Amino acid sequence: MNATTSDIQTTRTICGYCGVGCSLDLVTRDNRIIAVHPAFDGPANEGALCVKGQFAYDYVHHPDRLSHPLVRDGEGRLRQASWEEALDRAAQGFMDVLQKHGRHAVYGVASGRTPSEANYMMQKFIRVGFGTNYIDNCSRA
Amino acid sequence: MSNPLADMEKPDVIFCIGTNMTEAHPVAATRLKKALARGAKMIVADPRRIRLAEMADLYLPIRVGSDTALLLGMAHVIVREGLADLEFIATRTEGYDKLVDHLQEKTPEWAASITGVPAARIEEAAILYGSSDRAAIFYTLGITEHICGVENVQSLCNLALLTGNFGREGTGVNPMRGQNNIQGAGDSGALPNNYAGFQPVDDAANQAKFEKAYGRRVDLEKGITKVTALEQCGDRIFGMLIDGENTVVSDPDQEHCIHALKSLEHLVVIDIFLTETAELADVVLPAASWAETDGHFVNTERRIQRVRKAVDSPGEARPDWWIIGQIARRMGMSGFDYDSPVPIFNELCALSPIYNGIDWDLAESGQYQWPIPYRGHPGTPRLHEDAFINGRGKFSFTDYRDPAETIDEDYPLWLTTGRRLESYHTRTQTGRSEGINELLPEETLEVHPGDAARYGLRDGGWARMSSRRGAVDVRVQTTRRSPQGTVFASFSFADVPINVLTGSGYDPITHTAELKVCPVHVEPIAEKAQLAAD
Ligand code: SF4
Repeated sequence: MNATTSDIQTTRTICGYCGVGCSLDLVTRDNRIIAVHPAFDGPANEGALCVKGQFAYDYVHHPDRLSHPLVRDGEGRLRQASWEEALDRAAQGFMDVLQKHGRHAVYGVASGRTPSEANYMMQKFIRVGFGTNYIDNCSRA
Repeated sequence: MSNPLADMEKPDVIFCIGTNMTEAHPVAATRLKKALARGAKMIVADPRRIRLAEMADLYLPIRVGSDTALLLGMAHVIVREGLADLEFIATRTEGYDKLVDHLQEKTPEWAASITGVPAARIEEAAILYGSSDRAAIFYTLGITEHICGVENVQSLCNLALLTGNFGREGTGVNPMRGQNNIQGAGDSGALPNNYAGFQPVDDAANQAKFEKAYGRRVDLEKGITKVTALEQCGDRIFGMLIDGENTVVSDPDQEHCIHALKSLEHLVVIDIFLTETAELADVVLPAASWAETDGHFVNTERRIQRVRKAVDSPGEARPDWWIIGQIARRMGMSGFDYDSPVPIFNELCALSPIYNGIDWDLAESGQYQWPIPYRGHPGTPRLHEDAFINGRGKFSFTDYRDPAETIDEDYPLWLTTGRRLESYHTRTQTGRSEGINELLPEETLEVHPGDAARYGLRDGGWARMSSRRGAVDVRVQTTRRSPQGTVFASFSFADVPINVLTGSGYDPITHTAELKVCPVHVEPIAEKAQLAAD
């Protein structure tokens, strides 16, 4: 490998592990994270990182990562599907439940790990789609 | 947190309760160490002799689940010793006279009988906390994951109100958030009782405001909590959308949870791995991970910070916001035509008074801590400086309650659960990081050597641990970190599913599960019964 420095990119972001919210720089090459550098100007951490923030990033490139939508087939097994098919199934299923059991039969569980934009979408999905407040995040357990 | 992280270096007295900060929030703990190096004194209350306890000037080894009793006893002593800040109480609080009556019987001797900590140590802690100029409280799930989680937090607020420890540098009542964006999830309205920006859903003005914004009238009644929703699966709840949450491993009473999700007619899970929860779904949608998406996390000091995409997602994985929007559009909902996270965040800011002062571009710098009520406002590192949000700080008249289950002949040991430094929640992430797996390859049950002898357990040997709900097999580690009568394990390993055992009760107000306390029985076994699948 004779990578030049121009192949290496640095992206300032926030650690995804705990509520301290340490700033860090992800060092990447060929679309892979190769190192994490603590950010000395990070307001929460001022250059510090713990073992999780510093080292626990290789899950991003783990072979077990889901790379395709899955839907359950007639035999009860999950099989690969296109986005078209999977999204149609997802939407149709909620419409069926709505029609059969009413507005208060669908519930949304948001995550304490995803960005706020995902959380905002989850609550809007439930409130606009069903007119209920049947939404929560995982902070309770 | 009421105060910024930087304030952690400023108190004269630090009171940590129910927080294993050196393991769960190590970088924050570094700031406390700076305060200690400066000469600050530290009180630590925890059932286990954790690292933080070793660093403390005064360690209070309380029995699991007895926090409220300790805090009431301390409040009694503060009043009795004349350490209450009467000027602060007169100008900033209400309910003091009633509190004084309420505390009459809550003597340190009474607290000692429940917590197991000698009365003299409780007095010492109260006097240390009450007589300092700047005292700060820090807590985590050790306080909230109880049936009395709300009373615990209210009791902590009582101490700070009594002594005027709010709204100044190096003071406050400061929860340390576990997951990276728990704060942001609440801010964004992913709650059954609040719209975005903590605007209550049962207020008609808010209902009208969001009807206008969303083009849909939403119930005036609060929604049910996740705990209740799981109980109603197959009965009243038939469809569920779960984003990035391994409910099956993280929630108490695993059997019940799997059964609940299986009884749904339609389960859609969005995640980055095929988790135990995703395996139960009808549709699994692959999400972009943290390094593959743009957006914001809000940290424990209410700081709104930008997360940036550094690499592409594997295969066809897509950001969560895109996936949710696509389902909504296919169901014919309007208002989901977003082509990037930018307009989503701007909508959140426009609809939330605490975010009104910023937008995507302004948030770039990461300098803002909410509330930021209007454009040009600098943000609010420290809450409650001149006034409390609802005017005056209200004292609460809390009482001690026993945990939902208490030890008896059949289940004579207390099990308490927690986190370890090297792992994170259900390990869907850290379990797949090579270096981290080497540091922490296996879960162990931490048992005091005296208890080990009593129950015939051997260091490094196997034990079967049972509660009223189930049993797990786990390797034993003898340690004096555990007090006699209490054992400890974390809930991070799916092959040692500690949450098969827990789940005896919930806080009636917040529905937080009582994950921290569970009576158990332990016995030695030769081998682990079922080896993990791989
Ligand atoms: S580096 Fe450690 S302390 Fe900092 S946010 Fe990440 S997990 Fe938390």
